Amino acid sequence: MATRDVPAKTAEVPPPMMTVGVMGWARENLFSAWYNGALTIVLGVVTLLALWFGFAWIFGPADWEVIAKIGGRFVIGQYNTEAACIGQDCFWRPLAGLMLVTMLLGMAWGVAGGGFTKRVAITVTAVAALAAFIPYSFDVMGLDVRLLLLANIPALFVGLALARYTRLGTMKWIAIMSVGVFLLTLLLLRGLPWVPGLQPVSVIYWGGLMLNLLLAVAGIALSLPIGIALALGRRSRLPVVKMLCVVFIEVFRGVPLITLLFMSQVLVPLAFPENFPQNSLFRAAIIITLFSSAYMAENIRGGLQALHPGQEEAARSLGLSGWQTTAFISLPQAVRNVIPAIVGQFIALFKDTSLVYIIGMLDIVEMGRAFIQGNPQYLDNAQELFIFLALVFWVFTYGMSYVSSKIEGNLGVGSR
Amino acid sequence: MTLLTRITTYEGIPLWRHVGALRWAAQIASAVVVVTLVVWFFANIVNAIQDRQIPHGFSFLQRAYQTPIGQHFLPYDSSDSFLYALVVASTNTVIVAVAGVALATMLGIVIGVARLSNNWILSSLSKVYIEFFRNVPLLVQLFFWFYIVLELPPIREGYVIGGNLYINNRGITMPWPAADSLIAVVLWLGLAVGAVLLGAAVHRMLVRREISTGKSSYPVISGIAVTLGGGALAWLLIGMVAGEAPLTVSYPEEYGAFGRLQNGFTASAGLLALLIGLVMYTAAFIAEIVRAGIQSVGRGQFEASRALGLSPIDTLRHVTFPQALRVIIPPLISQCLNLTKNSSLGGAIGYSELTNVAKTMTQTAPAVSIFLLIMAAYLAMSLSWSLVGNLYNRYVRIVER
Amino acid sequence: MDASNGHENLEKTAANGGEMADEDIIICRDVHKWFGSFHALKGVTTSVREGEVVVILGPSGSGKSTFIRTLNRLEEHQRGDIIVDGIELTKDIRNIESIRSEIGMVFQSFNLFPHLKVIDNITLAPMKVRKWPRARAEEDAMTLLERVGIPEQADKYPSQLSGGQQQRVAIARELAMQPKIMLFDEPTSALDPEMIKEVLDVMGELAESGMTMLVVTHEVGFAREAADRFLFFDHGEIVEENTPKEFLTNPKEERSKLFLSQIL
Repeated sequence: MATRDVPAKTAEVPPPMMTVGVMGWARENLFSAWYNGALTIVLGVVTLLALWFGFAWIFGPADWEVIAKIGGRFVIGQYNTEAACIGQDCFWRPLAGLMLVTMLLGMAWGVAGGGFTKRVAITVTAVAALAAFIPYSFDVMGLDVRLLLLANIPALFVGLALARYTRLGTMKWIAIMSVGVFLLTLLLLRGLPWVPGLQPVSVIYWGGLMLNLLLAVAGIALSLPIGIALALGRRSRLPVVKMLCVVFIEVFRGVPLITLLFMSQVLVPLAFPENFPQNSLFRAAIIITLFSSAYMAENIRGGLQALHPGQEEAARSLGLSGWQTTAFISLPQAVRNVIPAIVGQFIALFKDTSLVYIIGMLDIVEMGRAFIQGNPQYLDNAQELFIFLALVFWVFTYGMSYVSSKIEGNLGVGSR
Repeated sequence: MTLLTRITTYEGIPLWRHVGALRWAAQIASAVVVVTLVVWFFANIVNAIQDRQIPHGFSFLQRAYQTPIGQHFLPYDSSDSFLYALVVASTNTVIVAVAGVALATMLGIVIGVARLSNNWILSSLSKVYIEFFRNVPLLVQLFFWFYIVLELPPIREGYVIGGNLYINNRGITMPWPAADSLIAVVLWLGLAVGAVLLGAAVHRMLVRREISTGKSSYPVISGIAVTLGGGALAWLLIGMVAGEAPLTVSYPEEYGAFGRLQNGFTASAGLLALLIGLVMYTAAFIAEIVRAGIQSVGRGQFEASRALGLSPIDTLRHVTFPQALRVIIPPLISQCLNLTKNSSLGGAIGYSELTNVAKTMTQTAPAVSIFLLIMAAYLAMSLSWSLVGNLYNRYVRIVER
Repeated sequence: MDASNGHENLEKTAANGGEMADEDIIICRDVHKWFGSFHALKGVTTSVREGEVVVILGPSGSGKSTFIRTLNRLEEHQRGDIIVDGIELTKDIRNIESIRSEIGMVFQSFNLFPHLKVIDNITLAPMKVRKWPRARAEEDAMTLLERVGIPEQADKYPSQLSGGQQQRVAIARELAMQPKIMLFDEPTSALDPEMIKEVLDVMGELAESGMTMLVVTHEVGFAREAADRFLFFDHGEIVEENTPKEFLTNPKEERSKLFLSQIL
């Protein structure tokens, strides 16, 4: 009887109004104290004003014509000019390379079976296909170009089908084919003297975003293994090996990349015999890769140092040899521990590809700058140009850090 | 058989299985490979130098450089030697580096702390700042700022603030301290440093007394007063002895038909853009380092300090920050290094830093020699930063004990 | 010195070792080890028969861990001879590797490989060192997991297991190499009290099956049950060598008495 009157006090008392919902959130995060409230108001007003004037400028006085004028040169530089491909059409070669890439993405989608990889593949293909509808006149951007861009959609599904219905649908094959696609793209772009319609195009005409991406991909693919080798060398018990690695790493880390790039142009031709085949793109790729490897080595070394020494002891006491211990125990853990730093280095490498201006190559940034320098009527639109370039880079670099956070999430199980 | 065994064994173990022998073999092999490569490159370079009669050696250093250098902080004239021109260029680099590091550190700390603020707008704004500025190539940012300065009106139509600050497409011209007598300046600076040390000593003494007596004795105010007083006294003394103040202010003046400016100090468009760009770019990285450093201090420290009754500001100043510093300093030093090296992009926007001047020099002087020189210069700068870091680390280790 | 002499010496010692005691699987003669100027092992001489379970006791820093680590060359001894299963531990890389795969070692901190699943932890060494096919290695691994009582954990990562389970996986991992000798370096020191028993049970069962074992431990109860012999270490040397019963009830040396009074 007494118990009947007592309400169930301990159950379900709603929290006070001011701690939940929008009000609660605002109270917690915006107005937790009087000075916090004042700060919120001041910052809010300033931010709104900045946004207001920003948008007013973007849609008002800003003149985006300079972007449209440069157009395709942002993407492939002077590759398709008369001087580059004498007496032939070569616009299709970079586009064919792009199709190979979307095909590869399709295969990756097929292997991963959807999820994150699928989203990346579809996004890239969609951007390429949508580019076919850029409202240029057909004189500027021909029907052939547009069709080749649209062909990325079937290419994606060809890749998907290859992965699903043939024996190529394994990670191993994708890795092999990535290398194949990269080399094939290089071959397509460079051309072969004895194949009609595929006449050589000198690398001095390669440019735009294509150049940045080629340098970045080569650098990323090579700087990780070289960096690992250097890191292992630096931790070696053999004093000579250790010293050589330390000198290499410290010299490349101590001198600015731009200095190395410039000097490679002057010195590397002297360091090889006169008839040794080489060109400026090759030299730039090597210097960027080695520079990045030195930083990569330090990242990996950090990961190796963080390893518990017991891991190596356990592996050795199981009878694994030194190399097996490194390959199966130490390195996988070390690399996993420093994925954020490695991706950070990849991003830095991608940004650094803009430094090839020093050796006279027209990457996407230098392409834009050369254009406004050559057409002074656009000098007043430099802000529009560089804001556009900043956004292009930002999309790529932010995309890279997004991908890395996804990878980290996937590897999260068992890493701790 | 026995002869073969005798030659190929050590301590009774065949050499190809002896741990020590294997190590030696690996060392010798790698050394041979590297030495061979280096010798080959070197031989090729020497051959090329002889065959193509490329100039070499270091005798050019005494020759006159005969090329103007845009902005320079040391007095420079085209008739000065290559060696001196390199010194001038290095000074340009060092000044941008030191100023950039100081400003970027301050901005980075502010943004890093703001990133952790519990005010949502403030932390979001700093996040946007960090994510944007560190993900865009420095070169693009430098061009952006450079062309903004270039789009300012020309000198005659430029802005003049307070009669003394000129802002136009050549950069910013401002009043600047000027010295008539070098000795007086050096003397005063020496005494001023002494005054700062004295002020610090007074501060420390008063803090000790405050701790032992429990009575407030205004250590901060007293310390500052002693420093300022000492500095002013030194100024007056030198002024009386030398008959004039050790430093005077040089004001910008217009002259000539085109309203050109003389005196004062002009920060050229290149210098301005380079400094702004480097500071904003590096600050984004430093902010992340500061954030990570503060977060690395366990929540328990914060809670313990609040439980003791310290205010949030005091907690940050006396508990969190000193501990975070240990995590922050090593990556911060590497950012200082990066900023120094990144200043080499100044050449792209017309600032005559070391790489830019060296690049111009290779047209009239041997490239190999110049490369060796500027490599040495950059390595020296890197080493200096590492030295600063190591000194700090040693200091921290002493404090910890 | 004459290299051929050294070679003959080696032959001789190996032969002598064989003659001296057929069933001795580990022979240590005057083993010394220095860490810098610190003399960690001061002439350890002992031998272990096949199938024997030897428990090593001693205060911390007495050199007992260092001693068992020299047996599989995790530490290099600087003087004296160590002969394991007729193979002398020298700078010969072939000897080191074959001895390591014949000796299993269980660590205080488990040292499971965190980036590999439990099953892959166990199959890694048989596949890479013994070159077994995956199917055989996995079959073997499952048998071992059943033996240590946790077959259901095969597809988990070490971090998802309790300490006791991790240590049992570590034991299974070593057994997968079919070692002739097992070394245990304080296998239960890092475990919560309620998990110690499950690991000791596995070790006890292993001892009964006839495995040669050297165990560094403070678990006197287990030691009394399972051990054939005690070695008491102090200051880098063997102070007393005795049967468990004798050692615990009637120690010969003063230092042994002092030690026992502290731990019992």
